[in-house]
Amino acid sequence: MSSGAPSSLADPAVLRARRTEDVVVGDEIVRHRLASRVIHWSVALLFFLALFSGLPIWTPVLGWMAHLLGGLNVCRWLHPWAGLLFFLAMAAMFVHWLGDMRLEPPDREWLRPRKMVEYMKHEGDEAEVGKYNGGQKLFFFAVALGAAGLIVSGLVLWFPLSFPRMASELATLLHDLTFILFVVAVVLHVYLGTAAEPGTFHSMVRGTVTRRWARFHHPRWYREVTGERPRHP
Amino acid sequence: MPQTLEIRRSSASLWGEKTGMRHLPVVAKYIDTTTCIGCKACEVACQEWNDLGPVPTVQTGTYQTLPNLHPEFWNLIRFNERETDKGFAWLMRKDQCMHCEDPGCLAACPSPGAIVQYANGIVDVNPAQCIGCGYCETGCPFDVPKFHQKTGKMAKCTLCVDRVGVGLEPACIKACPTACLQFGTKDDMVARGRSRVEALKANGFDHAVLYDPPGVGGTGVVTVLAHGDHPEWYGLPRDPRVSPLLRLWKSVLRPLGAVAMLGTLFAAVGHFMYQGPKEPREGA
Repeated sequence: MSSGAPSSLADPAVLRARRTEDVVVGDEIVRHRLASRVIHWSVALLFFLALFSGLPIWTPVLGWMAHLLGGLNVCRWLHPWAGLLFFLAMAAMFVHWLGDMRLEPPDREWLRPRKMVEYMKHEGDEAEVGKYNGGQKLFFFAVALGAAGLIVSGLVLWFPLSFPRMASELATLLHDLTFILFVVAVVLHVYLGTAAEPGTFHSMVRGTVTRRWARFHHPRWYREVTGERPRHP
Repeated sequence: MPQTLEIRRSSASLWGEKTGMRHLPVVAKYIDTTTCIGCKACEVACQEWNDLGPVPTVQTGTYQTLPNLHPEFWNLIRFNERETDKGFAWLMRKDQCMHCEDPGCLAACPSPGAIVQYANGIVDVNPAQCIGCGYCETGCPFDVPKFHQKTGKMAKCTLCVDRVGVGLEPACIKACPTACLQFGTKDDMVARGRSRVEALKANGFDHAVLYDPPGVGGTGVVTVLAHGDHPEWYGLPRDPRVSPLLRLWKSVLRPLGAVAMLGTLFAAVGHFMYQGPKEPREGA
């Protein structure tokens, strides 16, 4: 394994290994097995479908998005169904990842505002970061809560005439607030998962990360997976 | 009275929603509940002119045709019996769209042009643009627009915009045998209503009022109530207004949300330009 992973990709043993998470495959480590990636991209696709069919209903400024989907009447039909499927995918993802996302003492430390600023300034000490850092776990629980808020308010807005007027009005407010926070969180999530941290996007597409990436971003997870001792500079 | 279909306001529209060159007088219906005899000629005239119905009647223990307005029944005489300070009273009021100056339905509607307010004050639904979401019914303080299962659209009284537009009075007004329904400019109808209220007060109805609620900017239907201290006896809300929650999200939360979402996007781009990608240093 000198020049990197690609030569080994066709090896059936390697392909099988990619269905198991947290194993070393040559120069790379499997971070997200196929099931994780399928669930993640189902959630993402349905999120954007719901988003782009919902935004033109939210404001006429984005009315042009409705035309991409066949008009506002289509959006009015599509949005609730896309939203419902999004919620179901989110529920599957929640169950799938809950075990990995339990907050541990190092995560609570990570989540202190000063630490998060250090993280964004690339000055943080990540030595105790496991498979997911505190921010990733926070995002996980935030979007789970957000999805719950969206489905509850969304069901009321789907059938506004079946609920008391006050319920519809509060649902509108809740749906609005939740979706705004959701979009803010997703923008940050996409940024950190692509441009900000090279190699991360690859892990959600092909499933693997390089040893170097793992050692740098998630040292404790790297040690657990490889059995290597921590390095003291 | 010149009537055209100039548009003053249009739902979910930003700029260029007004088409009006002309300043047209605002029109209104005048309803005098004290001289209504409950004959329902207006109900029949409405069904005939608008090619609606027939809608099977529902027995509610009174003479009322239906418990509520219906997507194919836009004009309903409400019958109420009350014990008043003047003894037992049989109250009848013609219920229909109130054609608010500040329509809650129009404010709540997310589809551009699905609800319009003409320059003459008439509030109308354009079914071609309606997406049948039902938000107008939620937004209406009078509970007027009704969702039609058959068409998937909302429907309500048009104030006979097709008659008014060619100089005729609405069908319900035309049919009224006691002249308790009248039609004209809002100013004329308000003046007529005020003089009728004065006459009622002179006859001992101290609480008589002309119902033209300011919370929705006044309505295109002004109603004389002998017992104006109890509008709910007639099925009218005491102080109808467009929901403050609706205004909160459309006027405050929505712009703030747009700023927050775009701001995050810019922050991400800015962070990347300043900080660059996070990668292990050489040799790490």
